[in-house]
Amino acid sequence: MGNIETENIRIAPGVKLPPVDPQEDFKGYRGRAKALLEKTGARVWCDVVLDTARGEFVGVLLPRSETADDRHLVIKLTYNGYNIGVAVDTITGITINGYKRGHYQIPEKAFPYDEAKPNVTLLGTGGTIASRLDYRTGAVIPAFSPGELYGAVPELADICNLQTYKLYGEFSENIGPKHWAGTAEAIAKEIEKGVAGVVIGHGTDTMHYTAAALTFMLQDLPVPVVVVGSQRSSDRPSSDAAYNLIRAVQTAAYGDFAEVMICMFGPTSDSYDLLHRGTRVRKMHSSYRSTFRTLSDTPIARVDDEGFHPIKSETQYRHRNPENKVKVRNVFDERVSIVWYYPNMQPDVIDSLVDNGYKGIIIAGTGLGHVNKPLYPALKRAIDAGVHIFMTVQTLWGYVQMFVYDTGRDIMELGVTPLGNMLPEVAYVKLGWVLGHTHEREEVIEMMRTTVNGEWTEREPFDGYLLFQGGLPELEYYYKRYRL
Amino acid sequence: MSEWKELGFKAGLEIHHQINTEKKLFCKCPVQPYSDVWHAEMLRHMRPTMSELGEYDGTALMEFKTKKEIIYRLNRETVCTYEMDDDPPFPINQEAVDKALTIALAFQCKIVGELHVIRKQYLDGSIPAGFQRTTIVGVDGILTLASGKQVEIIQIGLEEDSCREVSDIGHRITYYTDRLSIPLIEVVTGPTLDTPEEAAEATERIGRLLRATGFARRGIGAVRQDVNLSIEGGTRVEIKGVPRIPRIPALLSYEAHRQAALLEIAAELKVRGFAEGDRPGELIKTNPKSVEFENPILRATQIAGDEIALVKLPQATGFLSKSLTQGHTFADEFAGRVRVVACLDSTPNLYHTDGASGGLNEVDRKTVIEEAGASEKDVVVVLFGNTRDITTAANEVLDRWAEAILGIPNETRQALADNTTDFERVLPGPDRMYPDTDSPPFEIVEKRIEKAAKYVPELPWDREERYRKLGIPEDIAVDLAIDPLAELLDKTIREEKLQPLRAGEVLSRFKKAERRKHPDLKQPSKEQWQQILDAMADKKVYREGVPTLIRQLCAQPEISLNNILEDESRIPLNNQTINSHITKEISDFDFTSAYHKNNIPTLIMCNIMKKVSGQIPGAEIWALVKEQVAMHD
Repeated sequence: MGNIETENIRIAPGVKLPPVDPQEDFKGYRGRAKALLEKTGARVWCDVVLDTARGEFVGVLLPRSETADDRHLVIKLTYNGYNIGVAVDTITGITINGYKRGHYQIPEKAFPYDEAKPNVTLLGTGGTIASRLDYRTGAVIPAFSPGELYGAVPELADICNLQTYKLYGEFSENIGPKHWAGTAEAIAKEIEKGVAGVVIGHGTDTMHYTAAALTFMLQDLPVPVVVVGSQRSSDRPSSDAAYNLIRAVQTAAYGDFAEVMICMFGPTSDSYDLLHRGTRVRKMHSSYRSTFRTLSDTPIARVDDEGFHPIKSETQYRHRNPENKVKVRNVFDERVSIVWYYPNMQPDVIDSLVDNGYKGIIIAGTGLGHVNKPLYPALKRAIDAGVHIFMTVQTLWGYVQMFVYDTGRDIMELGVTPLGNMLPEVAYVKLGWVLGHTHEREEVIEMMRTTVNGEWTEREPFDGYLLFQGGLPELEYYYKRYRL
Repeated sequence: MSEWKELGFKAGLEIHHQINTEKKLFCKCPVQPYSDVWHAEMLRHMRPTMSELGEYDGTALMEFKTKKEIIYRLNRETVCTYEMDDDPPFPINQEAVDKALTIALAFQCKIVGELHVIRKQYLDGSIPAGFQRTTIVGVDGILTLASGKQVEIIQIGLEEDSCREVSDIGHRITYYTDRLSIPLIEVVTGPTLDTPEEAAEATERIGRLLRATGFARRGIGAVRQDVNLSIEGGTRVEIKGVPRIPRIPALLSYEAHRQAALLEIAAELKVRGFAEGDRPGELIKTNPKSVEFENPILRATQIAGDEIALVKLPQATGFLSKSLTQGHTFADEFAGRVRVVACLDSTPNLYHTDGASGGLNEVDRKTVIEEAGASEKDVVVVLFGNTRDITTAANEVLDRWAEAILGIPNETRQALADNTTDFERVLPGPDRMYPDTDSPPFEIVEKRIEKAAKYVPELPWDREERYRKLGIPEDIAVDLAIDPLAELLDKTIREEKLQPLRAGEVLSRFKKAERRKHPDLKQPSKEQWQQILDAMADKKVYREGVPTLIRQLCAQPEISLNNILEDESRIPLNNQTINSHITKEISDFDFTSAYHKNNIPTLIMCNIMKKVSGQIPGAEIWALVKEQVAMHD
C-alpha cells in the first residue's frame, strides 16, 4: 500500500458520505487498492484529490473491473471526463471533497397506448438490444423494460403498443434447452392473448440455435415470432440495436408471416434487415453487423422503412393466419452431441460419448458427408448400443450425398442416416427435440427426415450460396454502386 | 489597461498532431498518404447514448436532430473491419504509446498510472463507431513562452484520428475513411492565454516542440488547431479548424468582439424585461399560400410546393441587424443554427424584417409583418425549405433567441476564410465520455517512462539560442531546432572537427534545397548524413561537392558513400593539379567576350567549378584563379 500518512487523509468540511455499503463502496476493488480505500475512508463515487509521486489527480473515484489488478484506483478526471488509473503505490495523500453516486439509467417513459395500433409482446432473454455498463466486469449488461426501450428507441411507439416481459437475463452462450422450452411456453401464452406478433430479444451468439428450437417447439403458428439482437451494443451511437428492434417490431406487428424468424442486418449499412427462416440461418461472422446468413437457401424477405419485400415467392413461406392454434411441443433430451470430424479422428471420441450415456450424435462430416475408416467400428458399436447417429456436412452449404462415394455407402451401411442439407446445429437441436418424443429407432429416423419448416429443403436455389468476397467483378460492382 | 484585459480575454488551445507510426492506433491497417480511391460505400446513422454517469450530451442530442445519412467510402488498402465498426479494437499500438509518453514528458506532464481507453462521442459521423477512442497519457505539464510566462498543459492525450469529409450537403454527409484511426496526439492548455498574440505564440511553440521530438507526422492535415475563447461574463466557445498560426490573432480578435456584442445584446434584453428561462417568440404560420412574395427565392419555394415558415420574435427590433463583428450580424447566429441543425444549407437560408440586412424588400417586409400579426417592435424570421426541416429550423430559431438572454451560448464554431467564425455544433462536455468496454486498462510502469524520457528533445527555443550564440545563422538555427538531425550538429559541436556553421549548412540549407529540387527521391538516413559530415571533417569532400553527393546518395540508396567518394571525379586535388586546370581554363578563355574586366576571374571560376566542384575548397581555387588572372594581365 502507498506511503500514505494519516495526516494526509482529509475530508473537506461539510462532506457527507452515505451509510457504509460494503457491496457498493469498493465495487471491483480488492487487495491493496481496497485496503487503501478502507484506510482512507474514500469510496467509489467520492470526489477526490489524489496526491501522488507523479503529481496531483482530481476526479471521481469510479468502480473498477474485477478482473483488473489491485494496484490502481480508477478516477474520472473532473474537468474533462476522461478516466485514468492511478497507481496505489504512488499515492501520498487523499482529500475527499464530495460524493455523488452515478446512475446509469435510460430515461424511463410510459410507453404510449394507441387503440388503432397492433399489440406486440417483446420477451427478453438477454443480449445487447438494450444494455448498460457493468462496472463489475467492465463489460456491458442488458437493461430492459418497455419504458427504458421507449426512452432509447421512441420510434417503437409509432409502430405498435408494446408489452415487454423479461424471461431471462442471460448472455446467449448461457442459453440452453431449458430456456428454449420456457421461451416457447411464454410465446404461446402471448399468442393466446391475441397479440399481433412476438419479438424475442436474444444475444446473437446462439440466436440461431434458439430460432431452430422455437421452430420445432411451436407449430402451427398464427403470427410471426421474430428473434432479434444486435452486434454492436446499444450503448454505442452506431449500434444496430435500435434499427433491428424497429424492424423486428414492425415485422411482428404487420408482417404477413407465421414462422419463427431471425431479423438482423442485411448489409453492414443501415439499409434493411433480412428475415431469415429459423432453421436455415447461422451466425457467420464474429463481429460484422450482417453476421446472420441464410445457408443453401435465400432469406424470406427484406424489411426496411418502406415495408416488406419478399425474396421467396408467396407459396414458399407461411402466412399470418388467425385460424391457426399454436401447439407447444417443448420437450428436449439433452443427451445429444455434435462431432465435428477432422482428419485422423480416433474412435475413442465416439466411444467416450457412448460410454458417457449420450443417446444421439450429429456428425459434421467432410465433403458430401464422410469420416475415416478407423471410426467405423466405433460407429457400429454406438448404433448397436442404441445411439442415434446422423450425418450432416461441415461445408455448411450443400447436401449430404452418401451414394456418390463408397465411403458414404459404407457409413450408411453402419446405420448412420444422412440429413440432406440440414445445418449441423439445427440437426443437433432437432435430434434433442425428437429424442424428447421417442427413442424408437424407426420413429426417430422418420421424425428427423420429416421437415417441420425448411430445415431440410428439397432443392437449393442458385443464389442460396453467397460468400462476401473481394475480387468478384459482380460484387465489386455491387458494393461500389449500391453500398456494403 | 489593454483592450484584451478589459474584455477579460482568456484563450486555451487544443492542438492535434498526427504521430508517425507504421500502423494505426487500434488495428493493423498501415498509415499511408491519403487517397481518394475507394472500393465500397457504407451507410450509417447515429443515435445518442448516455454517459456512464447517466447523462446525455448536448452535442449528441443536437446532432441526432440533424438526422443525417452518413456515407463512408472504404479503401481496401487502408481500412479494415475495425474502422468500419464491424470489429472490436485490437490492443492499442505500443509504438504510439511510447511516442506519446515521450511527448507528454517533453511537456513535463505527470504520467498516469494506468491508461484507460475512453469513448468520446461524435455523432457528426466523423467516426463510424459514433465515438473516438481516446486516452490520457499525462496531465499537468508546462509550456514556457518567450516572456517567461508558464502556460499550464492540462493534458496530453493519445487518440485515433477521424474521417476526412468529402461533402456535407443537406441530410447527407460523405467521408473518406483512410485517415480514420491514425494515432493523434492532443495537447490541451489551460485557459490562461491573455491575448490573441500569446495564443498564436503558444500554438507555434507547441507545434515546434512536437516537431522536435521527430514523432510528428508531416503533410496536409497532419496538424489541427482548436482555440477556446471566453471573455468576462461569457462562457467558453471552441473554434475548430484554425488553419494557420499567423491568422490566429485576427481570428481571436474578431471572435472576442462577437462575444462582447452578444453580451451587450443580453444586457439590453434584460433592460427590456426578458428573463433567463423565457422562450419568447412563436412559430406563427407555415405556408402562407395566399401571399405572393416578390423575393425570387421565396417565390420559387412557393412554386416548388415547399414550405415557408414565419417565426415571430417579440420586441427584437434592432437586434437581428446588430453588427457583431466584421461583416456579421446577430441574424447570422440564427442562420448558422438553421444551416447545421436543420440542414438548410443554401445561402441565404433565412430572411428577417429587422432592417435592410434582413434581405426583404419593403413590400415583402410589410407582407410578412402583416401575415405574422407582428408589430413594428417585433421581428419576423422567414424560413423556407422542405416540411420536415422547416419545423426543426423554426425550433432552432426560437431556441437561439431564448439563449440570447444568456449572452454567449456554449458552441463549437468553425473558422471561416475571412477570420470570422460560424456555428458548427453545441459545445460537447464531459457527458459524452464513456469507458471503452472493449479495451482493458493497462499499466504504465516506471521503467517504460524512463525509457521514453531518453527521447525527450531539448526545448527548441533553448536550442535555437544556443546555436545563435555559436554564430549559426538564424534560418539554420530555427530550422534545426525542431529537426531530429540537430543531434548530428550537436555531435559536430562537441567533437570540434568541423565548423558548426558548415555542418548546419549541410543539414539545413543543402538538405532543404535538394528536397525541393528532387521531392520524389528518398531522403538520406541519419547515418548517411553523419557519413557526409565525417567525410567533410576528414577533408574527403568539400562543401561545394556536398549537394551532388546528397543527390547521388538519394538516387542510388544501394551504393555506399565510400564507393561514391572513391570515384575519380571526387578524389581531392592538390594545388598543382588545380593550377594546371586554371592555366588551361585561362588559355581557353576568350578575353574579348567579357563585358568588364572585373568579371573575368568570376567567369573562369564558374567554368572550373563545373569540373572540380568539391574536390578542393572553393576559397582556395578562388585565390589561385585571382592570382593567375592577375599574372595573365
